[in-house]
Amino acid sequence: MTEREELIAYLEADQLVAERSRPLGRATLSRRTAAALWALRIFVIVVGVMVIYTFVASLGS
Amino acid sequence: MTPPPPIVDLPVAGDGTAALPPLSAEDAARSRDRFRVHHARNRGRRWYLLWLLVGPGILVMLGENDGPSMLSYATSGATYGLGFFLPFILVTFAMAVVCQEMCMRVGAVTHRGYGQLVLERFGRLWGWFSAGDLIFTNLVTLIAEFVAIRVGLAYFHLGAGIAAGLGVMLVVFTLSGGRYWRWERIVLGMAVFNGLFLVAALLVKPHWDSVGHAFVTFSPFPHGTFNTLLLLIASTIGATVTPWMIFFQQSASADKGLTPSDVRHGRYDTVGGATLAAVFGCGALVAGAALVGHGGAPGLGGAGFPSALSHVSGATVGTLFALGLIEAGAVAVLTISASTGYAVGECIGAPHSLNNSARGAAAFYGANVGAALVAGAIILIPGVPLLSIALNANVLATVLLPVTLVFMILLANDHELMGQWVNRAWLNRIAVTIVVFIAVCGAAYAIDSFLQVVHLV
Repeated sequence: MTEREELIAYLEADQLVAERSRPLGRATLSRRTAAALWALRIFVIVVGVMVIYTFVASLGS
Repeated sequence: MTPPPPIVDLPVAGDGTAALPPLSAEDAARSRDRFRVHHARNRGRRWYLLWLLVGPGILVMLGENDGPSMLSYATSGATYGLGFFLPFILVTFAMAVVCQEMCMRVGAVTHRGYGQLVLERFGRLWGWFSAGDLIFTNLVTLIAEFVAIRVGLAYFHLGAGIAAGLGVMLVVFTLSGGRYWRWERIVLGMAVFNGLFLVAALLVKPHWDSVGHAFVTFSPFPHGTFNTLLLLIASTIGATVTPWMIFFQQSASADKGLTPSDVRHGRYDTVGGATLAAVFGCGALVAGAALVGHGGAPGLGGAGFPSALSHVSGATVGTLFALGLIEAGAVAVLTISASTGYAVGECIGAPHSLNNSARGAAAFYGANVGAALVAGAIILIPGVPLLSIALNANVLATVLLPVTLVFMILLANDHELMGQWVNRAWLNRIAVTIVVFIAVCGAAYAIDSFLQVVHLV
């Protein structure tokens, strides 16, 4: 066994850089998960705006 | 010599032999680490195998016992004494174990980082949002780490310039080897000194009956306004579970080369790290509690803790606390900078490994050093409201944390990626409960603070 073969043998096939760089496909989301992600978007926007506003207001005071 | 594992799943060349895939320098470095793991496992050297496989879990937990967290624990102790927040630290680390075990498992099974998986499985919007959220909160947290180093050095009459220079030099030094193993072992060696907070706690000679009573009864419960209580709970959660930990442990597990056969040891690593971090965090709170009846928590965001402890409990305690703050800030600078590098590399699709050279992974190393440089430079600017920035960054990180955790749970339940390693139903129930608890605490504080600012309450 050559040194190169031995080096490869100690790694899992999908552990090699060439394999890890291969993009995966998009996940198939159920309707419930998709709805939950939309709820997450709204949560992030609403609460994020509140925190940023509070921060800016506290700087002013 | 034990033969290596068989070459499996390789493409077949025209002559029927296995066609070897391209092998990069990063692969070669990781393979050498795997060689040692393989031989330790085959020869039944259990303790050596554990030594080889621990790292990301301990680093992420002790990295999160950072300067602001230790000051926050000490402030809780100095303000409220030995009570609710002592056992609450254990609860938050138990929550951290649940979240971080999922990261380790997803990293070991997929060999990919969190940012890369979110980008590929859920699209560019969520991928870039996660990375953007992380980079922003990391940058602000790094500023707080440099402030903690500065507070510790100030006890020895050293200035902000030395704090900034020390932090940046440490980042450059630890990255200079081009090997994950070297980086991990140096940072682990530094993280051991997080135990200084425990030594400080023992030296203040706490009232052990009160410590035991607090752990058993979660009391006395803190007094104060609803907003103050929410802030303390949100900041304690923010001191234990954060977005950078998710990015870091998954990416580091993949970079270290963990595989599904290492998941059991990854769990030991995570639980062991959480146990150490919880004990040392409780140490900071117990040390801080020595100031009850002696003026309580010092002002300026805890900047006077080492001096105050020195006056009340002796110079040794003050010195240990100051050294602990320097260590806590320095280790966090290294781990948080690394998580920034991983996030940037994963999202732009550039090489992102500590097993790669600086030339081979320029974006990864550039983001790593760049984040530390920017944060170090900011603490040198006079008049910047550092404490306000740090406090609000922690709250923003807590508010945005549920987003990171939701994707973590989705990834850990992705059958295509994880196969037999998906979450069990009972784990999902616990994980969802944790996300809801964190979301409610973070949102409640954000909403209450907002309503106060606009004078609606």
